[in-house]
This record gives sequence, C-alpha cells and structure tokens, in this order.
Amino acid sequence: MTEAPLIQIHDLHATAGGSPILNGIDLEIRAGEVHAVMGPNGSGKSTLSNILVGKPGYEVTKGEILFRGKNLADMDPEIRAREGIFLAFQYPVEIPGVANNYFLRTALNAIRSHRGEEELDAMDFLSVMREKMKLVEMPDEMMSRAINEGFSGGEKKRNEILQMLLLEPSFCILDETDSGLDIDALRIVANGVNQMRSPDRAMLVITHYQRLLDYIVPDHVHVLSGGRIVRSGSKELAIELEEKGYGWIEDEAGAAS
Amino acid sequence: MSRDLESLLRFAPDGSSDRLASLRREALAQFEEQGLPTRRLENWKGTSLVPLERLHFERVGPGAKSIEPETGAFDLVFVDGRLDSAASDLSALPAGIRVTTLLSALEEEPERVSDFLGRLAEPKRHALIALQTAFLEDGAFVSIDPGTKTVRPLRIRFVSTSDTDLDTEAEAASASFPRLLVVAGEDSAATIFQAHDSIGSAAGLTATVSEIFLARGAHVEFVQLQSEGAARVHFTSLHARVERDARFSSNVYTLGEGLVRSEAQVELAEPGARAELNGLFLGRGKGHVDHFTTVDHAAEDCESDEEYRGVLGDHSRGVFRGRVIVRPDAQRTDARQSNPNLLLSDHANIDTKPQLEIYADDVRASHGATIGQLDEDALFFLRARGIGESSARLLLTNAFAQSIVERIDDQGVRDLVREHVESTLDQFEGAARRDGERLR
Repeated sequence: MTEAPLIQIHDLHATAGGSPILNGIDLEIRAGEVHAVMGPNGSGKSTLSNILVGKPGYEVTKGEILFRGKNLADMDPEIRAREGIFLAFQYPVEIPGVANNYFLRTALNAIRSHRGEEELDAMDFLSVMREKMKLVEMPDEMMSRAINEGFSGGEKKRNEILQMLLLEPSFCILDETDSGLDIDALRIVANGVNQMRSPDRAMLVITHYQRLLDYIVPDHVHVLSGGRIVRSGSKELAIELEEKGYGWIEDEAGAAS
Repeated sequence: MSRDLESLLRFAPDGSSDRLASLRREALAQFEEQGLPTRRLENWKGTSLVPLERLHFERVGPGAKSIEPETGAFDLVFVDGRLDSAASDLSALPAGIRVTTLLSALEEEPERVSDFLGRLAEPKRHALIALQTAFLEDGAFVSIDPGTKTVRPLRIRFVSTSDTDLDTEAEAASASFPRLLVVAGEDSAATIFQAHDSIGSAAGLTATVSEIFLARGAHVEFVQLQSEGAARVHFTSLHARVERDARFSSNVYTLGEGLVRSEAQVELAEPGARAELNGLFLGRGKGHVDHFTTVDHAAEDCESDEEYRGVLGDHSRGVFRGRVIVRPDAQRTDARQSNPNLLLSDHANIDTKPQLEIYADDVRASHGATIGQLDEDALFFLRARGIGESSARLLLTNAFAQSIVERIDDQGVRDLVREHVESTLDQFEGAARRDGERLR
C-alpha cells in the first residue's frame, strides 16, 4: 500500500446553521475499498456526505478533505463532480421540464470534456445509456420523462444509480440508498453498485441498517456518533451493531470521553 | 390636443374618399381627442409611455434597408408596414385559403373586409388602437373558407427597420403599423404564425393590431413571436371573437427587450366557445413588459384557460393584468387563469394582478399568481452532476419557460419558438454574467 489514499479526511469539524454537527472526523479511503459509515439518526452521516460534495449550508470550521491530494475546499460542486466525486442522494429532487436524457448527456459531456475526452453526440450517448439502463432494469420511456417527476421512491433511487453508472465516478458516496426500498428494488440497486466495484474506485456507503451491507459487502465499517467516528472495524462490526443496536457503542463512547 | 407624438402626427396620412381613408381619418380624430394613455388610467398604472413621447420621428413607412428574402420561410413579409413582395411567397398556399394584403382585399371585396376591419379593435375605446388605425397603411388579410383545414401553418413576418439620418448621422426613430385580419369560416382550422422583429438598433414605435374572427366550429391556433430590439416601443393588441363551439388558441411570446405593452382581448361570444391563452414574457436588460389580457365570457357553457409565464432578469420589470369577465347569462362558465413568474435577479420585479368580474352564479373560476426564484435544491443537484452553475441556471430557467411552448400544437412552429426562447434565455444569462452579477 504505497499509493496515497483517494480521499483523506483530517480532523473535520463542521457546523450547519451555527450548530456543530461534525466534531473531528478522520477517515482515509483507498482506491478499491468500500467503506460503510453507520450510525444513529442525527449522528452526522448525511452532513458528512453533503460536505463531501460541497452542498451549500454547511461550514467547515476546522480540518480538511483531500481528494487525490487536492483540497476540496477550493472546488465548486460541479468541479468535484467532474473530478470524480458522486453522491447518490437520499432524497433525489424532481425537476419538472428537464428531460432525464437531456440532463444526463449534458452532465456526461461536462465531465468528459473536463477529462479531455470527446463529447458524445446524441446517437452515441443513446447506446451507452441503453446499456446502463439494462443494468438497473429501467424501461426506455423513463429516459424521456422529466428528472424524477412522478417516479416512485424505488425508481428515483435506481435513477441515482443509473447516473452513477453513466458518469463513472472514482469516488461514489451512497447516502441511505436503501431507505424506502423493497427487497427487489434493493437487489437491483445493489447489483448496479456492485457493477461499479473496481480496483481504481472507492465507495462510501452510508446507512442506518445492516441490511444493505448484505448486498454491498464493505471492507471497513465505521460507526459515527455525535459527529465523530467512535469505532471502526471489519464487516462483522455491522452485524454486531444489528444485534446490539447503537446504544452500547454510544455508551462506550460516552464513557471513554 | 396635447403635444403627444407631435413629430409622428405630422406624418398622418391625408384624408381621401376611400373606405380606408375615412377609417383612418376618424381614428386620428379619436386619438387626438384621447391623447396617449397615462398612468392615471386604471389600466395603465404599471406602464408609462413617456419614453414614447420623447421619441422624435423622422420616418413612417418603408426605410432604406431591404430584407434578405429567406426562401420559403414566410408567406408574407411586411417591412415597416408595407408588403415586401420579393420576400413574400404565396405560391404554395393550400386551396380554400386566401392570404393577401389588406389593400388588395379592400379593392376586391370592400364590403366584406370593411365588415370586419376595426369591428373588434375599436379606435374609440383605446387611444393606441386609434393611433394604429390612423396610420394603417396595409397589412395581411387571411380568409379561410368554411370546412377548410390547413395542414401547414401560415407564416407572416412584420419587420421594422431603422436608418441613419444622413445629415446628423444620428439614428432616427421610425414607426411602423402592421395589421392582421383573419376571418375563419365555419368548421375551418388553421395555424397562423406571426413574427415581429426589428433590424437596426434605432429607437422606434411598432403599433400592431390583429383581429381574428372564428365562425362556428372553427379552430384557430395563433402564435405571435415578438423579438424586437431594446430601443423600440412595441404595442400589440390582439382581438378575437369566438362563436359557437369554436376554439381559439392564442400563444403570445414576448422576447423583445424594449418597452412592450401587449394586449389580448378574447370574446367567447356563443355557447360552447373555448379559448386558450398561453403567454411567455422574458424581461432582460432594462426592458419593461406589460401584458394586459381580457377574457370575456359572454355566453353560457364556454371555457377559457389562460397561463402567462414571466421570466425576469437583470433590471427588467414585468406587469401582468388578467381580466376575466363572466356576464350574467354566461352560466356554467369554466375559467382558469394563472401567472407564474420567475425572478432571476434582485433588481428585477413583477407586478401581477388577476381581476375577476363575475356576474353569473353557476361558474367555476380559478386564478393564481406566483413569484419565485430558481429551486436551490434542483440547482445543486445539477451542479453535483458536473453541470456548471450558469448552465444549470439556464437549464432550469429554460424548463420553466418551455412548459408553455409545449402548448403549441403545430410541431414546426413549436420547434421554432422553442429555439427562439432558448437562445434568448442564453443571451440574458450571458448578459448578467457580463455585469458581474450573480443571478439568483
């Protein structure tokens, strides 16, 4: 392991609306690894993912995040995306009037031209698109519809994974992707994610429940509580949490501090 | 008589004995009596015509510049109110439809044309209609035989030019007065596309009146695209009378940058008549766009659906007044109206007011106006997928605007309008960036 980690989070402190949410997070993720972050509601899981992609409304008060050695603080959200960071949103927005396929081609070409690759024309795009849609079992007609408009919860999540498959980011963050999914949808989503696993790609899977991790098996599991990582371990840690709940870890962390 | 438009009025046509001349003469007298509307009038509270008063007119009618004919693009082209026969092409008209100049129509069937001309747009009721009529020189006349259904749209272009004063080298103000008269026979169907644009950057006035008569069961889709330059004052007044079971779809696109007053008056005259009024106005620069619409439910069982959308950027100002009148006999009326607006800049503003006057008791009427900004979550979502901020704003703004464009039935016209809207929005997002202002 001589290569530098893809993402390095050092002593990250952040506030939202003046209240502290993250209180010193340290996390390094190397290419090829899948990390899971688990934790009770309000532990700061979503804040962490939002800060990684540069969502407005949060202030980093201390610490830094490096992506391939570059400080994220200097990058607008679109630059982070073009550099290869992708967040599958917990609550994907509906955007009436903007067709899915038009949006995706615009996004893909923005990313391709950032990488110095040629932009895809409508025909080439369509064939790439169709191939990815099969992976998440999405019917063709969903592509000409407005982004997420009238989509069910499961369709919205599949659409997020479709975007991930198409944009081929090197760092994928999945924020509670399993929430609101039935078992079939969960399997489809997990299949899509597993397609993306590769030695030069890293993943951060944020979830409240262990269930998703049966499908997307992590290399490392971290437990977030009170805006800090209070425990890290292997995938067995997730199973232990499922059995015992979060209480014992919070108690332990409370006793240690 | 005030000094309103003194420099313009010296160009007023002389009276002679023909029908048109007497119509003009009466209209001129009407205008001189009324004078230009001022903000003291209820219907003009939002808009001042002082910029019009200040113009010094050097010319009325055709200018020095000629138009490059675009082959097949338009059936009729009028330059500064007069027919440009080189740019017009009437060779491919379908049977059952007659498109000609008002002048030749008046020569060929004076009684019939006089029956319609000025019947809906009455000079005595409106000073600017009086002014337009006083200077009426020519225009387009469209007559559709009963039962005729046209497959392709009729396209009419009214272009205003400006020129430079040879002595002073200053650009001189010019005025043009386009006119359209459409008579759609029983059970006929047609799409009519009317474009107003300008060449050159000089100040000027375009005053235009359109009258559309729909006989029983007729279906007319009317699309007006206005994209004149920033220095022009544009007044447009659209009038339609819709008879039994006829259906009128009005689509008004105001993309120009100058001072605009756009009026539409639709009378649902007989039972079963339907009207759709779709509108989009884009304000940019220091533009002022005022839309005033009246839907008059004069008979029972009629339906109207009106949606005007506004997008206002930079320092522009928008005004929307939507009147809906339901007369005492107009039972079982269904009237809907909405005016959603998108403000893209802190310096832009919109003044919107629906005005319902209901005198019948069995009526379904709804209205609503909204004023909003771009959805921050949607904006962030697009950026998080790699789309730059200004492109993301444009994408969302365009989506807001294009939802109105979708209401145009004719695909060719719809595509053309869609492109115009998109390229106009592109320009004004760009203009805001040049000012160093962040759109919000």
